[in-house]
Amino acid sequence: MKDLLQALCALPIVSGDEPAFRAEMTALLAPLGEVSFLPSGTALCRLPAESDRLPVVLLEAHLDRVGLMVTRVSEKGFVHAAAVGGVDPRTLAAARVTIHSKAGAVPGVVCAVPPHLSNGDGALQKTSDVAIDIGMTAERAKELVVCGDRVTLDGAFAALLGGRIVSPALDDRAGCAAVIGAARMLENCKTAQIVVALSVQEETGGGGAVTAANAVAPDFCFASDVTFGETPDSDPNDVLKMGGGPAIGVSPCLDRRLGDALAAAAEANGIPYQWEIMAGRTGTDADPISCAGRGVRTALVSIPERYMHTASEVACLADIENTARLIALTIGGGLL
Amino acid sequence: MKKLIQALCEARGISGCESAVRGVIERELAGFCRLRTDPLGNLIAEKDGQPARKRIVFFAHMDEVGMLVTRITEEGLLRFSPIGIDPAVLTGRRVRVGKEDLPGVIGAKAVHHLEEEEKKRAPKAEALFIDIGAETREQAQAHVSPGDPVTFDDPYCGMLGDGYVASRALDNRLGCAQLVTLLKSDCPFAFTGVFTCGEESSLFGAAAAANTTAPEIAVVLETTTAGDIDGAPADQIVCALGKGPVVSFADRGTLFDRELFAIAFETARENGLPVQTKEGIFGGNEGRVVNRAGSGAQVCAVSVPCRYLHSASVVAKWSDIEASARLIRLLAERFAAL
Repeated sequence: MKDLLQALCALPIVSGDEPAFRAEMTALLAPLGEVSFLPSGTALCRLPAESDRLPVVLLEAHLDRVGLMVTRVSEKGFVHAAAVGGVDPRTLAAARVTIHSKAGAVPGVVCAVPPHLSNGDGALQKTSDVAIDIGMTAERAKELVVCGDRVTLDGAFAALLGGRIVSPALDDRAGCAAVIGAARMLENCKTAQIVVALSVQEETGGGGAVTAANAVAPDFCFASDVTFGETPDSDPNDVLKMGGGPAIGVSPCLDRRLGDALAAAAEANGIPYQWEIMAGRTGTDADPISCAGRGVRTALVSIPERYMHTASEVACLADIENTARLIALTIGGGLL
Repeated sequence: MKKLIQALCEARGISGCESAVRGVIERELAGFCRLRTDPLGNLIAEKDGQPARKRIVFFAHMDEVGMLVTRITEEGLLRFSPIGIDPAVLTGRRVRVGKEDLPGVIGAKAVHHLEEEEKKRAPKAEALFIDIGAETREQAQAHVSPGDPVTFDDPYCGMLGDGYVASRALDNRLGCAQLVTLLKSDCPFAFTGVFTCGEESSLFGAAAAANTTAPEIAVVLETTTAGDIDGAPADQIVCALGKGPVVSFADRGTLFDRELFAIAFETARENGLPVQTKEGIFGGNEGRVVNRAGSGAQVCAVSVPCRYLHSASVVAKWSDIEASARLIRLLAERFAAL
């Protein structure tokens, strides 16, 4: 699981740039089944099924991550970029970034305002106009970089204590790893036809998930995304326990029977789990999937994560592994 | 010099914890000059040669900005106190903690949970914590203690764009590299080089070393803030990358010696080297304690202009570093004749 997660995190896929990674996605998914792509880049992988009369189950996670996109090059040669998705504005000053240009990866540093130019009030720069220093003249910068080039926040994939992983891409490569991991356990599944969807543009509210659900028309969907891990400064009502196991979502748009089936599978197999109660929308792909086509009975299984939308997202490897196991055991155990 | 700068930047050392940096310098200088370490940890290097007319001492501080662990919480998170860092560059950064160089993350609650007002300002350092992955205080205590040093983890990048370098520790490993280079040079005159401790905290190292070495002419080798970024008003740029070493006439701590200032500009001009000054009274360095130690000294500062000083990603230009080295070498001879 760690190798799969690391391979996924290594892909610099910012929202809208997914179609550029078809070869990588094909290589990753082809061992599981037949790979295809929707026009906007969502990857689908249909596992070989015992029978076409079995219920179709969609395992979904989003492939994109937050980042920036180039908007212009200034006279001094600084590359200006705007946020793609909800990048944490507190983390940008002096951050290392990489611009993914046609010519290759261009390293840069986000400009930080020196103390004599700020009033010392800690005012943050707007994420709609972030200046990046790439150490080049405007002329040279314009040769390399074009508007729309995506920018990722740099950060190595690394292990912390306690089996925790840090990477800028865990949202939602952790979910991708969980659904791919579940699909691997469901090869030769006798209870369902399994389709994996790694969908595009979740971070920008694009239509990756709903088009995946429309195209596959599943009977059930298990979506996996990250959710908020506890920190001492957060409201205990808003956060989940790191290492506390998969968070089974409860929301008006989510299917209660599926949630209960997940909990039953967790109990039966000694997998830790926790409930995540959301009175309204879940803020994940589960929202559009649940009302796609004629409606899809949808479950959301989330992985607690700290420091979402920063270059240093932290999650527990065990929570990701348990999410994969729990989804696989629920489907494979005939609990649908 | 590039290899030397990389080796110096890869060594970690906040104020009071400079031994790794000192080790790199000692290895570089072995056989080139007489070395001794004073009780505070300053490394004093005596270069033999023809006696100069006045006693000349070059200063470069070894410490970098960083943090100190202050407390371990029940949840296994580390509270910390910054040394020399603007809190605006802390959130989300990767760090290395304590003797084990344990990886960690400077964290806070998720951006999604911030109030509108909180999204507009950088959090104060007191509101942040370091997460090393520990779940309990006991688990963290097995690896970390209050007082342990913390440094940024961003990797050294020797090839940024067309001739730039980025590292957390350019302030002031660039000054150290300049001084090492000078001590290894063929300068025919005797002088002293001091690699100091504690500049980013309270300047304690330079104060003591200036008493010990009693300079008549003191030259501070440093880095200084360049404001040449987009959006900076022309009168606030102060100095810029690519325009050569910065020789200061004054900063917020020191009125630099006017004779030495004039000689530095004259020397640069005569030798076709770029040189600039700080256009404005900002910042400060060890000059402020050196010029009042013992009987006092004529003080000069030669700095490499840097962007994003005191962050995890300080940026400098190789051409400025090289021009600084040449100017410093020339000044060592000019000052010896004064």
